[in-house]
Amino acid sequence: MSKDLNIWLDDLLGDIENIQFKRKSSRRVRVDVGSEALPALLELLQGRASYVHLSAISCVDWIEDEEFELVYHVWSYETRSLVSAHTRIPREPGVYLSIYDLYQPAAFFERDIHEMFGVFFEGSPDMEKFILTEWDGPPPMRKEFDSEAFVNQHFEWEQYHPQWLKDLEEEGGGVTTRPEDIRL
Amino acid sequence: MSKLDNIPVRHQPTEAAGRKRTNPLAHVFDELVKFCQSRSMFMLHYCTGCGAIELPPAMTSRFDMERLGIQPMVTPRQADILLITGYVSIKTLKRIILTYEQMQSPKYVIGICSCTVNGGMYWQSYATAKVLKDYLPVDVYIAGCMPRPEAVISGMRELMSDIKSGRAQNWKRYYENYDHYLGNQQKLFGEDWQTPTDIIAEARHYGLMTDRTLGEHTALLEKHQRPLEALEMRLSAREKQKT
Repeated sequence: MSKDLNIWLDDLLGDIENIQFKRKSSRRVRVDVGSEALPALLELLQGRASYVHLSAISCVDWIEDEEFELVYHVWSYETRSLVSAHTRIPREPGVYLSIYDLYQPAAFFERDIHEMFGVFFEGSPDMEKFILTEWDGPPPMRKEFDSEAFVNQHFEWEQYHPQWLKDLEEEGGGVTTRPEDIRL
Repeated sequence: MSKLDNIPVRHQPTEAAGRKRTNPLAHVFDELVKFCQSRSMFMLHYCTGCGAIELPPAMTSRFDMERLGIQPMVTPRQADILLITGYVSIKTLKRIILTYEQMQSPKYVIGICSCTVNGGMYWQSYATAKVLKDYLPVDVYIAGCMPRPEAVISGMRELMSDIKSGRAQNWKRYYENYDHYLGNQQKLFGEDWQTPTDIIAEARHYGLMTDRTLGEHTALLEKHQRPLEALEMRLSAREKQKT
């Protein structure tokens, strides 16, 4: 049963133009789709192909391409397989459509992505602060946000360098690799 | 390491100056109280970060903290020890300070894991506070990532011996240097930071006012202080629109 459904899905997705489709295993399918067609694809998957469970929406910041990649993971209990629908939207202005009317849990993920990446989802019921309620800086998961510079600006460090440690270091011991040497 | 003597040890406290006891049994009673205090410590069940995972084995039958008189307690007002087990996010730090200020004196703070010492492996994170002792007076640090239950218990024993010998007086430092601690808190939380507990009045009540209790930061606090109101509770923005 579930094997038939998988073959049927492969045929269906292979027929649609302008999407790239790749079956990674019997349980995972990757679909790359343009941002204008993604809601239609999800509607098709939910309404016709039993992908009723939205597991997550994730976001990747491709700062060099000036794009955000949104990944919609939908799961089917019938075929027991996961479809990951990838789409890319321009980084500026970073606005996309909400899929709240298809999958209600999307409100939760979209609110989270809005907070962490600053992507605005039109039609999402609530775009207010979620976890970072006491944060008024830029969206922290964006690539241009320099966490280390922020930390050095806002926090003091424990200054612990006593004489006995200095003596140790004179003899060639102590901390051999300083944090600044292993920074990426 | 050149000399063992160069390693700093915490200096012994000086005897309270000018204190004259006439009752020869008074010291006996003090000793008894200290002994009892050190053998009956209630630690607050408020665990942050990942170090909390080491406490169940430390508390339960294998390592059994209770044989030392350390028991978990569910409310801050009945607890003696505040355990900070791991990284402290800025939001959590606010709650920790609220909790700490509600605890009854004498109260002790134990910082477990490297994160409370200097940020630990989260040193680059925008969301965690780095040096715990800038915001609260810490009595004992137990370093490690994470410390084993043996280390936790050894830190607890350290605190017990400090209490017994009268060295664990750090809770007084919060009142004596309130301006310093409040300044660090304001730097992190913004100028309008305030807690429901009136620390200055408490310091006055305990007789722990020094010239470092009040300062520019407490002046700022008084300027921004609002009378307390009940917090608004709502689950989403839609509810707000309905009303």
